[in-house]
Amino acid sequence: MRRLAALLLVVLAVRAFAEEGETAVAPSVGSPVPVLRAASGGDKIWSAVILATNSATPKEAPPELGEFTARLKRVFGYTQYELIGSVTEKIDDKSESWLVPSRNFWLQVKARHISSKEARGGYLLNLQFFQDKRPILESEAKLAPGSPLFVRGPEYGRGQIIIVLQVQR
Amino acid sequence: MKTFEERLTAWIDGQLTGPDLAAFEKELATHPEAAAERAEARKLGDLLRAQPVPKVGNEDFFNHQLMQRIAAETPRGVEPEKRRVSFWSLPRLVLAGAACLLVALGLFHTLIPAGLPPREKTDYYAEVVELWPGDPSISACTVYDPADNVTVVWLEGLDYIPASYALK
Repeated sequence: MRRLAALLLVVLAVRAFAEEGETAVAPSVGSPVPVLRAASGGDKIWSAVILATNSATPKEAPPELGEFTARLKRVFGYTQYELIGSVTEKIDDKSESWLVPSRNFWLQVKARHISSKEARGGYLLNLQFFQDKRPILESEAKLAPGSPLFVRGPEYGRGQIIIVLQVQR
Repeated sequence: MKTFEERLTAWIDGQLTGPDLAAFEKELATHPEAAAERAEARKLGDLLRAQPVPKVGNEDFFNHQLMQRIAAETPRGVEPEKRRVSFWSLPRLVLAGAACLLVALGLFHTLIPAGLPPREKTDYYAEVVELWPGDPSISACTVYDPADNVTVVWLEGLDYIPASYALK
């Protein structure tokens, strides 16, 4: 009985210390430090300006918005999503790029590739959003292919302007 | 066999009868002073009996005090010293310690979450590091919805655009 209790104690103590060690060590091992490097050839950034409205008979979203429609509906709650304009540009880390998906909304992008496993080929983007020449927002964001960023813009009529950004490969 | 003094006392008190009395009276032939002692004892007894009995008030209290005094003056019998054995013997202490440790470890594992919560395995990677609104009238915040894997930059304070304005 006593031997069994002592053995159980030793096992539990060893397990507890091992787990504590893993917890203490894991972050330094498992979280690689992001390293910026030149953009991968062929990567592009896609930007779109969307008008979200509520309609009793909503039109079907255009195919460009196919992968976003469900999430847009859940986040913003509108029933109809129209594409005002979109643009795709090759990511160039040597200079700033201008994305002009519409004449009223555009943005300036400066990208740096993040070569860490966690980033999954993502980019650190310096973004400047403009509405009719007026700077409305500057931001620094990390984006990877397949992970869009939504920007809730101004209200338009009874709807809402939404800007979408996504890195494409 | 009673001693001579015991038989003498019984004889003086008139408690010896029958063959015991006859045998003792024969024995008294060798103790001539016994008859005088008997006469003196009987005289003392008569004298005491002739005295009035003093009346005691608070008899119960008197008896109580008397019994307490007797008890206090009576030497107590020496009881054999019992060996005191503590409940917390060494094996019991060890077992109790082990039990406490087990309870503590159990509570630690059940109540305290181990390390950081596990991250959801997702391919989503969008993170807003910094936001600087272009105008003091504009406010910006980031909302992340893990259920939908959506990161939204929420801008407030932008100018309303009337529906009559043609977007291009």
